[in-house]
Amino acid sequence: MKIKNIIKKCLGKRVQIKLNYYRKLYRNDSRKSLKKFLKIKLYKSKNIAKSIKKLLSNVQLSDLEPNNKFYYSIDIFKIIDTNIENLSIDYNRILNYSLKDYKEKLKANIIDEKFYKDEINTIESIEFLIDRTVKKLQDDKCDENIINNIKNIKDKKANSLYEALQRILFFNQLLWQTSHKLNGLGRLDIILYPYYKKDIENEIINEEEAKNLIKEFLTTLHKYYERKSNVLLGDTGQIIELGGKDKNGKYQYNELTYIFIELTKELQLPDPKILLRVSSETPRDLIETSLKCIQTGIGCPLFANDDVVIDKLINFGYEKEDAYEYGTSACWEPFIIGKSLDQNNLKSINFLQPFENLLEVENVEDIKSTQQLVSLYKKYLEEYLDNFIKEIENKKFNDDPILSLFTDDCIEKNLDISKGGAKYNHYGFTGVGLSNLINSIKNVEIIIFKNKEMSFSNLNDARKNNYENNEELINKLKNQKIKYGTDYEEIINITNDIIKYTTQVINKYKNPLGGKYKFGLSAPSYIDCSKNFPASFDGRKNGEPFGVHISSSIENGYTELIQFASKLDYNENRFNGNVVDFIVSPSFIENNFDKFVDFIKLSIQNGFFEMQMNVVSSTTLIEARNNPEKFPNLIVRVWGFSAYFNDLPDQYKDYLIERALKSENNS
Amino acid sequence: MKIIVSNIQRFCLQDGPGIRTIVFFKGCNLNCPWCSNPENINPNMESYRENNEINTYGYEISLEDLEKEILKDQLYYKSGGGVTFSGGECLLQFEKIEELLKRLKENRINICIETALSVPQKYVDIAVKYVDEFIIDIKILDEDNINKINGNVQLYLNNIQEVFKNNKKVIFRIPLVPNYILTDKNMKKIIEFIEQYKPSKVELFKIHRLGEKKYKTLGKIMPEFEEVNDYIINEIEEKIKSIDVDVEYIKI
Repeated sequence: MKIKNIIKKCLGKRVQIKLNYYRKLYRNDSRKSLKKFLKIKLYKSKNIAKSIKKLLSNVQLSDLEPNNKFYYSIDIFKIIDTNIENLSIDYNRILNYSLKDYKEKLKANIIDEKFYKDEINTIESIEFLIDRTVKKLQDDKCDENIINNIKNIKDKKANSLYEALQRILFFNQLLWQTSHKLNGLGRLDIILYPYYKKDIENEIINEEEAKNLIKEFLTTLHKYYERKSNVLLGDTGQIIELGGKDKNGKYQYNELTYIFIELTKELQLPDPKILLRVSSETPRDLIETSLKCIQTGIGCPLFANDDVVIDKLINFGYEKEDAYEYGTSACWEPFIIGKSLDQNNLKSINFLQPFENLLEVENVEDIKSTQQLVSLYKKYLEEYLDNFIKEIENKKFNDDPILSLFTDDCIEKNLDISKGGAKYNHYGFTGVGLSNLINSIKNVEIIIFKNKEMSFSNLNDARKNNYENNEELINKLKNQKIKYGTDYEEIINITNDIIKYTTQVINKYKNPLGGKYKFGLSAPSYIDCSKNFPASFDGRKNGEPFGVHISSSIENGYTELIQFASKLDYNENRFNGNVVDFIVSPSFIENNFDKFVDFIKLSIQNGFFEMQMNVVSSTTLIEARNNPEKFPNLIVRVWGFSAYFNDLPDQYKDYLIERALKSENNS
Repeated sequence: MKIIVSNIQRFCLQDGPGIRTIVFFKGCNLNCPWCSNPENINPNMESYRENNEINTYGYEISLEDLEKEILKDQLYYKSGGGVTFSGGECLLQFEKIEELLKRLKENRINICIETALSVPQKYVDIAVKYVDEFIIDIKILDEDNINKINGNVQLYLNNIQEVFKNNKKVIFRIPLVPNYILTDKNMKKIIEFIEQYKPSKVELFKIHRLGEKKYKTLGKIMPEFEEVNDYIINEIEEKIKSIDVDVEYIKI
């Protein structure tokens, strides 16, 4: 009986993994079938190294497309069960060491026999994949350079820009093939620069050829777009970080920084996406180049402000040298590449949930002041967070010899990344509903406590009734002047009060790997978390979306929004992605380009944490909503990624239209 | 001291150099039928009803609070920006806000005004002490027609002289309104006037109907105006260019 149960459980899990994968793979396919489902093969042995071996020996290798300079092949029907995701590996190390080097490193430090064996077996599986690939390319009579680029991964460092790009693609392919989700690329302008410079100096390639190589590199990464997409199409996590301060505080950038931005503008693909690390020293023309890219509506680069971010990382406990090298997880959560397990997007804190819990339990007539309301809220917040963390504590990660190979200090400790082998093992949450909470509290303060316009229970009844036939009240609740995203001191203070209290609560805990918890104020879940969520005092009806990241419902008070965001306290553990998000109409930037560059530069000085924009007019969005066939290439920013507008679920489309209209009406 | 404003708009990229905050004062001594801010004509607060809701145009603000609002975006004024006072006719408030102007000047905030300049000279005397840039409307210079908007040509010309005497940067703005401004006689005078003063720039714009909703809430009707042909605009642009003055047609 017991064994039967175990078999059933295992079988159940296998089916579940395959089913999840199947749903994503065929998300836009209206004709789902058992045949398609059965085509998916899951390799799941007790030992993960064995699964990897089976997988890599069996994946089907695609043909090199004519005229392609890079080989890149993912067998989308074969998967394994990995569940550490949302990170970038250190491609700098990948380029500087061959697989042989890794083997030697492992041999020199055997502490745990099993760890050693799994790692060596995994390297051999990768080598076998390389051998298979080389043989295939030879059989197909492909270009010798391509073959050598692949072959060299086994025992040589990368030696040219071309080879470096192929090697990055190979390991990126490997991560996708081994079912890792949301794979970032890291700081490619800095990493690739030595190869670029050497090749240019030695006249191996010229600038134009380099640009063409990188262009093909980017379009190659864009392959398997649907297979790579996570929650929504476009959500691939293929982020490239550019620029950034070095440990002496000097701003680093190079020709490749410009090339990556210019190519993103030229290619007009939603993925891969770019993030530009900026500081007050970032040259004006780099901001201009970025704005020209953003102006096309592509939604990136997202700006991350090193002048704010890096200090927070150091204060939290990352070593200074590591902090200056930060990249991000799939969206924008700062991440120490090559040294951490940090799972930065484990769950969203829904700040409105404890408020809802409070309203369900308490008699609102007993609450007489804002102070009383806020301290009650904190009580419910604590309870909510305590439970929240308990759920997270049960999260188990599967052994991952591939990531362990490329992450400090797994080899040093002979400990798999899933068991705490990495140098850093922190867990991160995103945050949603904070603007709705702040506006709710503020509305109660003004309408109930201050102006005494109605009783608290009347307001609560109207809310419970979803404000049916009460447009007047909705307007009143929505149109208060003093709200989240404005820079009134009282708003900044209450917001900081609540996020600091959140820190206080979650700092009580350490995660099972000994790391800390951290959180941020921008989250992908502004629509998912709000589904079926009851109406709130900010005038939001049941099921309507929550506020997006750090945005204002005024939508065009850009300086005011940045002032607000710059005064929030991101210290302690509150740095897990804090993105200001707004919509701008294309003509507004076009007519005021230089002043808009001033605005960005001064906003960096002001001290935003991160910032992104959607440049699109409501007219375009509405037309595209009605006539999708006319707008096959319209791209918009969704959360930490960009996507084709046509691929979005209707709710996302409508919300963007609503925000764009507001932004235009107010100007 | 309290003053009535109808709006304080931050992050304005037009109406002066750099990134600006615009303060709209209530109250105007002219009565131009094409006015785009009809809620700023009456100097007092005005209630109105819209969709069963009672709202008010204008609110009182103390000079201290107004200063605070203006200084909120001080960092962004490094772009060469600052504050622009508009209205209504902002100059009518200048006695009341002189202390504020003084403090802004001490704070090195760039001050700009949008004015029709048809006001008693005492206000202009205050303005020239503090204002860095004047955006001045040219409307009707023709004595026979000036009553249509309740203006005073002589007063206007004296004030203009005063502004130029103080070597201020001046931009002229001409609303292209048929029958009022675009008459042959008036346009001839305007061109001569521009030639005489050589402002740093002339901006032309067609009137728009974005304020129509506001007319309705005030129980007024915005009059209809004939459409202005592009060739007329072109002709005016050319004439101004030919007297060697920078000109721009601003599309709204």
